[in-house]
Amino acid sequence: MSRAEPGTSRLYHRLMVYLLFIILLLPLAGTLLYSLATSWSASLLPSGLTFKWYLALWSDPRFLAAFGQSLLVCVGALLLSVLLILPLLFVVHYHFPRLDALMNILILLPFAVPPVVSSVGLLQLYGSGPMAMVGTPWILIGCYFTVALPFMYRAITNNLQAINLRDLMDAAQLLGASTFQAAFLVVLPNLRKGLLVALLLSFSFLFGEFVFANLLVGTRYETLQVYLNNMRNSSGHFNSALVISYFFFVLVLTWAANRLNKDKS
Amino acid sequence: MNSIKRRRWLAALCLLPFAVFFIIFQIAPLAWVAIHSLQAESGWGLANFSKVFSSKFYRQAIQHSLEISFWSSVFGLLIAILGSYSLRKVDSRLRDFVNAFANMTSNFSGVPLAFAFIILLGFNGALTLLLKQAGIIEDFNLYSKTGLIILYTYFQIPLGVLLLYPAFDALREDWRESAELLGANTWQYWRLIGLPVLTPALLGTFVILLANALGAYATVYALTTGNFNVLPIRIAALVAGDISLDPNLASALAIILVGLMTLVTIVHQWLLKRSYHVAR
Amino acid sequence: MSFVSVQNLQKSYGASPVFNDINCEIQRGEFVTLLGPSGCGKSTLLRCIAGLTAVDSGKILLDGHDLVPLSPQKRGIGMVFQSYALFPNMTVEQNVAFGLRMQKVNADDSRSRVREVLQLVELQDFASRYPHQLSGGQCQRVALARSLVTRPRLLLLDEPLSALDARIRKHLREQIRQIQRELGLTTIFVTHDQEEALTLSDRIFLMNQGRIVQSGDAETLYTAPVDVFAAGFIGNYNLLDAQSASRLLQRPVSSRLAIRPEAIALSLNGELEGLVRSHSLLGNVIRYRVEARGVELLVDVLNRSPADLHPDGQRVSLSIDPTALCEVA
Repeated sequence: MSRAEPGTSRLYHRLMVYLLFIILLLPLAGTLLYSLATSWSASLLPSGLTFKWYLALWSDPRFLAAFGQSLLVCVGALLLSVLLILPLLFVVHYHFPRLDALMNILILLPFAVPPVVSSVGLLQLYGSGPMAMVGTPWILIGCYFTVALPFMYRAITNNLQAINLRDLMDAAQLLGASTFQAAFLVVLPNLRKGLLVALLLSFSFLFGEFVFANLLVGTRYETLQVYLNNMRNSSGHFNSALVISYFFFVLVLTWAANRLNKDKS
Repeated sequence: MNSIKRRRWLAALCLLPFAVFFIIFQIAPLAWVAIHSLQAESGWGLANFSKVFSSKFYRQAIQHSLEISFWSSVFGLLIAILGSYSLRKVDSRLRDFVNAFANMTSNFSGVPLAFAFIILLGFNGALTLLLKQAGIIEDFNLYSKTGLIILYTYFQIPLGVLLLYPAFDALREDWRESAELLGANTWQYWRLIGLPVLTPALLGTFVILLANALGAYATVYALTTGNFNVLPIRIAALVAGDISLDPNLASALAIILVGLMTLVTIVHQWLLKRSYHVAR
Repeated sequence: MSFVSVQNLQKSYGASPVFNDINCEIQRGEFVTLLGPSGCGKSTLLRCIAGLTAVDSGKILLDGHDLVPLSPQKRGIGMVFQSYALFPNMTVEQNVAFGLRMQKVNADDSRSRVREVLQLVELQDFASRYPHQLSGGQCQRVALARSLVTRPRLLLLDEPLSALDARIRKHLREQIRQIQRELGLTTIFVTHDQEEALTLSDRIFLMNQGRIVQSGDAETLYTAPVDVFAAGFIGNYNLLDAQSASRLLQRPVSSRLAIRPEAIALSLNGELEGLVRSHSLLGNVIRYRVEARGVELLVDVLNRSPADLHPDGQRVSLSIDPTALCEVA
């Protein structure tokens, strides 16, 4: 497929890739080092290594509360997404295939409209009155649903197109299954992998969301990112341990998604 | 109604919960912002917009936003082009590893990233000291426009790589071989064939990077505690800050932000149309 | 001295050899075909001559000069690819002019040469079209024009007709041959289709697993295959082992025998008795499976009249042209 690259160009390409890797690695590496340092100020290298910051972090009840609240909100949002998006996709692909074009435009909205902009409207509409949600996790769950929507819609759509939904459903129904049975027993199992990958990736994205969390809820329901920002004045080492812990968690999720993706193909 | 029609109505009903949530959390806020951008104390009109454009302060916010977004997208794109092109040419183990790593670092944005950069490139950061000792830089302020451009470039790179990597699929190896046999060297090949064919993908990625940077809030907020003058910060300050709250003015600013992003997209589509024959 | 001389060429991908010690000579103005099944190394050999794939060792002499140390840009070789490889961002005219542009030919000369070669391939009206607006056959003609306009010393064609449908393939291959004759251009053509090889070439190099098994003109290759592979690849030979051959001919036979289906005549009265087992109508030829003396043979008969149609189960007699018997290794 690709012809053999002569020696110098092979070297060049390796060099560029290593450079890319180092550029991306640097901030992470720096933070990791800082989180393991006893102290590191105004010098090139830290003065000593220790795990005490991590210990302090993971025994901090406020951190654990924030972590748990982040988890709750993200899981809640994804649950809501699955409940809303799966039937939607199913109906669109089976009954109203022409709506898919419209849906593709709609799911651009969360991308095209930055969270800051939506927050202006959200704060005014739901800050008080009959639908007061600001300051509660409920508004976060709703907003996170819109954030996850593009990822989930695209991933499951591709999956549905690959398995040829109509034919599967028709075959199942000819064999006697009702619509629900066909959907649960035939279609859903085939979507499992794609759904799982989409969920994992959406989760990691939502876990790092800050704008909605800070503007709409803030400290009243402190998620991990808000906690991180609020701790900015405490020790930099502590913050680094926090960042690395967060990143490690997300790393595991994306690595799992990657592995699942590879298995698929 | 026969059963097929009934089934379709039932199916359409399934769309309702989705529509409700989508309207509540996406459409309604957007509509509120659009409407209220035109509402000031004096009633309906463009009062908010004229306020924005006649204020040096807000104009600076727009200018800063555009500058930072533009330069970070340019640098990010350049690095991503070189990176993803070389990524395709190395052996599969290295390629898969760096690809996965780039994917994972795309999650490293916002508050954690800001903190990491403070550690590295802040006033007492390790990298700052290293570069000062090596005499490369004299005084580096991370919390300035330049610092922000560097920071933004960093989180643009993984996105750029993600988008550009498959774009190189469009370049067929036999074009290169053909060009070689006809006498072209590497530079001529890229200039006359490679880059022109890639241009739609490059432009598309640039636009996405630009939009990504324009709307970014978390990173700059965390870095400068909301003290740097860019559009998203200004918008948020007017609805959730400590000083005067003016949601209508915020709406106007928000519409300007969205307008800028739309403008960029339109320019991109127009440029694409002009080079349509290059695309498949 | 030959115009193109490949000497002791070696090439392996890692541990697996592609070809080992290949030698061949091609005269000026010859149309030569590299023929063989997929994976035999013919395309790799072509790409080595073009300089697109590096060789491990050996020489490739073109008009006395060794090409191996030269980059593809400097070899003065034209090549037509199976996938056309037309530059999508350029018009037909710009595509064809590309090589001249690299040679820094001035604009006026370039334009007239491009026009000339487009007329040669009968595409002069398509000069301002883009590749995506052309059919497969038109694309391939543009590719041909592009490689001819630079007046290369050698023309290489890598399965140029494989991606086209049958009707266009026949027309285009005749056009290629005609142009080649007019220009007197030394040409190496790679294909896996024996019909193309037989109709087009002055000489054929039959390749298998990295070796040149047999080389010669079409007639020789077709009527005198040198081994089992050659007999199996070209034509529809009946391949008989020594035992069956002896039984059939009722005389001792020492090696395997290859018999062409058309070299066996069917009649209703003759010495060798046989039974029609089945038949297939191939259009102008009827191919029979006939069993004679326990040996199954393919017999081709020209579909001239109803008298040539023999139903299954009919007893027929065969007569085999003794000069058409070919001993193969």
